Amino acid sequence: MIYYLGIYLQDAVEALSFLRLVDSIIFRALCGAITSLIFTILCGGRVILYFYGRGHRDMPRDYLNFEAVSNQAKTYGGGLIVAAILISVGLWCKLHSLFVLFCVGAIVWFAALGWIDDFLKVRYRSSDRGLSEKAKLALQVAFGMAFGTAYITQTLPAESAGLATQLYLPFFKNPVLDLSWGYVPFIAFTVTAISNSVNLADGIDGLAIVPTAFVMAVFGVFAYVSSHAEIAGFLIFPFMPGVGEVAIICSIVFGACLGFLWFNSYPANVIMGDTGSMALGGLLGTVAVLVKQEFLFLIVGGIFVGETLSVVIQEKIGIRWLGRRFFTRSPIHHHFQQRGLADTKIVIRFWIVAGILALCGLATLKIR
Amino acid sequence: MKYLLTGGGTGGHVYPALAIANEIRQTRADAEFLYVGHRDRLDAWVVPEQGYRIRFVRARSFPRTRSLVPLLRFAISLAIGVIQGALILLRYRPQIIISTGGFVSAPVLFAHGLLVKVGLSRARVFIYEPNAYPGLLNQVTGRLAQRIGVAFEQAGRWFDAEKVAVVGYPVRRSFLNLDRQAAREKLGIDQVRKVVLAFGGSGGAKAINEAVLEALPLWREAGLVVIHVTGRYKGPDYDAVADTEAALAEMGIEGEGDWYRRLDYADEIADLIAVADLVICRSGAGTLTEMAVSGTPTLIVPLPTSAEDHQALNAREMERIGAAQVLYQEAFWDNACIHSGLDGEKLAQQVLALCADEERLQAMSAAAKTMPKTNSLELITAELDGLVAGQEPPPLRLESPPVKKSGLPTAPNALLRWVQARVKEVGGVEAMERGELAYLRYQADRLLTSEGWCEIPLGRRNVGIKLVAVLDYQERLPLLLHILTDRTPTGWRRRLCGGDFRHGGIIRRNVVEHGLRGLGATDAQTRAALLNALAADPYFEVRAWSARALGELFDVDGEIESTLFAALDDSSPEVIVQALSALGKISRNPDLLARLRRFYQHSNWQIRDQVVLVLIEFLQRGVLEPTQLERDLDQVLISMPYFKPEFPLGTHLRQLADLVRADQPLAASQR
Repeated sequence: MIYYLGIYLQDAVEALSFLRLVDSIIFRALCGAITSLIFTILCGGRVILYFYGRGHRDMPRDYLNFEAVSNQAKTYGGGLIVAAILISVGLWCKLHSLFVLFCVGAIVWFAALGWIDDFLKVRYRSSDRGLSEKAKLALQVAFGMAFGTAYITQTLPAESAGLATQLYLPFFKNPVLDLSWGYVPFIAFTVTAISNSVNLADGIDGLAIVPTAFVMAVFGVFAYVSSHAEIAGFLIFPFMPGVGEVAIICSIVFGACLGFLWFNSYPANVIMGDTGSMALGGLLGTVAVLVKQEFLFLIVGGIFVGETLSVVIQEKIGIRWLGRRFFTRSPIHHHFQQRGLADTKIVIRFWIVAGILALCGLATLKIR
Repeated sequence: MKYLLTGGGTGGHVYPALAIANEIRQTRADAEFLYVGHRDRLDAWVVPEQGYRIRFVRARSFPRTRSLVPLLRFAISLAIGVIQGALILLRYRPQIIISTGGFVSAPVLFAHGLLVKVGLSRARVFIYEPNAYPGLLNQVTGRLAQRIGVAFEQAGRWFDAEKVAVVGYPVRRSFLNLDRQAAREKLGIDQVRKVVLAFGGSGGAKAINEAVLEALPLWREAGLVVIHVTGRYKGPDYDAVADTEAALAEMGIEGEGDWYRRLDYADEIADLIAVADLVICRSGAGTLTEMAVSGTPTLIVPLPTSAEDHQALNAREMERIGAAQVLYQEAFWDNACIHSGLDGEKLAQQVLALCADEERLQAMSAAAKTMPKTNSLELITAELDGLVAGQEPPPLRLESPPVKKSGLPTAPNALLRWVQARVKEVGGVEAMERGELAYLRYQADRLLTSEGWCEIPLGRRNVGIKLVAVLDYQERLPLLLHILTDRTPTGWRRRLCGGDFRHGGIIRRNVVEHGLRGLGATDAQTRAALLNALAADPYFEVRAWSARALGELFDVDGEIESTLFAALDDSSPEVIVQALSALGKISRNPDLLARLRRFYQHSNWQIRDQVVLVLIEFLQRGVLEPTQLERDLDQVLISMPYFKPEFPLGTHLRQLADLVRADQPLAASQR
């Protein structure tokens, strides 16, 4: 909104020509981040009190002989993040850009999915009564397929024709493969896998939000590089005009994450619930596809990948197939909890690892 | 009038078809019949014996699996069968097709369906469903039929109610007037000796055959006459005729003796039933109806793999009215597998007890005759006449929404909850009625024999183990110990990924956690198995629960104590915690203190917490003197990872301090 207002005013009123600033991606990114950060911090406390008063609590699950640590945190923090992101995007982004529409679509779709899940859990006072795993998966894949189809047919302008279906790998300058229509299921898989992995990682206060912020920051940098003709040329990246909007969104999400951490840090007043983790995960997946760095997520999102692997090993290979457990509990952070590590220690160690991985991811800007 | 009969594979499908045909043959002079069956099944020899022409088609039962190869094989044989069926239909041009279900009838019915589409077949179809739960095929082909006869009203809910008629089960006419004396004379059997007839249904029943062989020596001593119909089952793992012959030869019993007669197959089963004082049989609906009509006392062995377990329900019903005694198949350990079998010893004893009790047999016979009967054959022929005349009989009104007879849920975890509630309701296992207890224990056995153990959230075999404990099924203790101690390796693919033995870690853990602890087993074998599991099992949960079970079930002795001691060096914190806990409960060894001191600064707070609890326990039991611990108090690292409303380590440490310094005013004031 402010973007359109700025464009209009700088032409209409001579004295306001400094509003040219809104053309700058960096400027809008910064403003967007500040907006979402301030919004979450200001509204957070009130939202928390409101929902707590209405009895919305998280429903943790007991495993083995290990009693779940219920600190009665309030779910629906996800709504706060989503609202902050949407408002800030509305204020600072070019809303007619397809890149923005894809991102907003992803947030809204996945947030809705997560909200239904949360709602059912809270309603039945049991964390086993949410959406069924199959239904969740089907809805996620449905979004992925729709998004993938729209992406390879619509998004990129004519000058980068043929780029849409190219597959890029970190550490390689040139695309390794043209997937053509095979790119659509690949996109669906990427989006689904990433959104679920964030969901899995969201288990201890502050555990998911900071790595998400790191990953968003890294993808924001990549988006900015790809959107800037000169830098892209210098670093030999595919030039994709318009992808700068994704950089703004990344920055907005980064701000919202920090604002959320304000309340979510240990011991949490609010947790994001499925609403938040699904929305952020879905958005992460979408962004990874839009900046054409799907495989970069394996590096910068290493925390999420590890969490997912631990679940797959434990549930699918261990319990289902072999009839044994490999960890005392999965996802892996619960295993560390069970082994007597303090929650705070686990969380901060995960942050450290996530930070290092984010730096490694940034290094691939030049090391290619 | 041309009739085409089809359906088969097992006696339950063939005999109704034959009974119907015999009835029509008697009432209609112009009737002409053709039977379409399967070359390798009993259709092939039973049908011609009764004087009907038979043609064969390719058929295969529907594989209830998701793997591709069996499905493809099924599809190919069905395609060939449909072509064969179409040719038969085109050449014979029947006016009425009577199908009694079973996979053999699929090709003909599908071929008929195709021919109707192109206008080449005008036959009218009558489907007869003998079971309370219709087979898959009849559910599909029900739409092709003009009329459907069901034996049980509740089967009607799978079909279009407009077409359904409840007709009961058509018993062969030969069963209606049995003459015991004449039959005995015909077969050359003494009129006074007790005769036992064992037959496992047309397919032959491995469990019954093997148990009968085991029981034979006892029966011979008691002077019984045994007629044993083995059936002609031939499978990859079992051949009813050859295996039985081999076992008989080993025992030195001749198949044609004066007291024992073995038959592959009984064409005139009615004669055999007429001579028998007691029949050992399965509880398919057809068999039971025949037994009821003839008033034969039965010892029923329900088939545990029957759909929805309907055979056990049928058997329970017969038991309830007093017409039968039920003997369930049990879970047996055999060469690292758990399989379902029948205990020959039990079978022998029960048969002997029944045969010795003439009054009981009379009462059973009388009770069987009270079962409600329907003039099924007349009803069916009326239906067929209606079809011929093109009448539309009135649709069936289902009186009540059909409900399952069974009170038992089918999902394993739901079953477990149901049984727990039931045991509580009647006030414990001892107070439970014996028939019901046997039935529920049989459910535990069924789950134990099930290979599909890894069903999330609860596996079948896991639930079986839990049921054993809930039902206090002490007879299964040896089986549980077998599972725990078996060291048969699993497949190499699983071992490569971290699997160990055939009976996986979670199963073994449940044996200890739920099975042994639930049964309260305290015998020497359990003790040895637990000690071995604690010392050598590769899976940490098994070791942890073994340590715990040792502490709970046994009193201390040197061996247990030293094994628990050794477990303190385990790599898994869970095992250490449980071993500590067990030592705290049972050990009286003050030397343990030196070992405990090494845990004071352990990085895992749960171990430190457990050490403090052990110290408290030792002080309370007087193993240690407070003075010994005075200098230890400030040695324990107190940090804990999270602050819940309570702070267990701090509380426990304070308790300890109170005990240590009980006489000091400072501690008292702190409290």
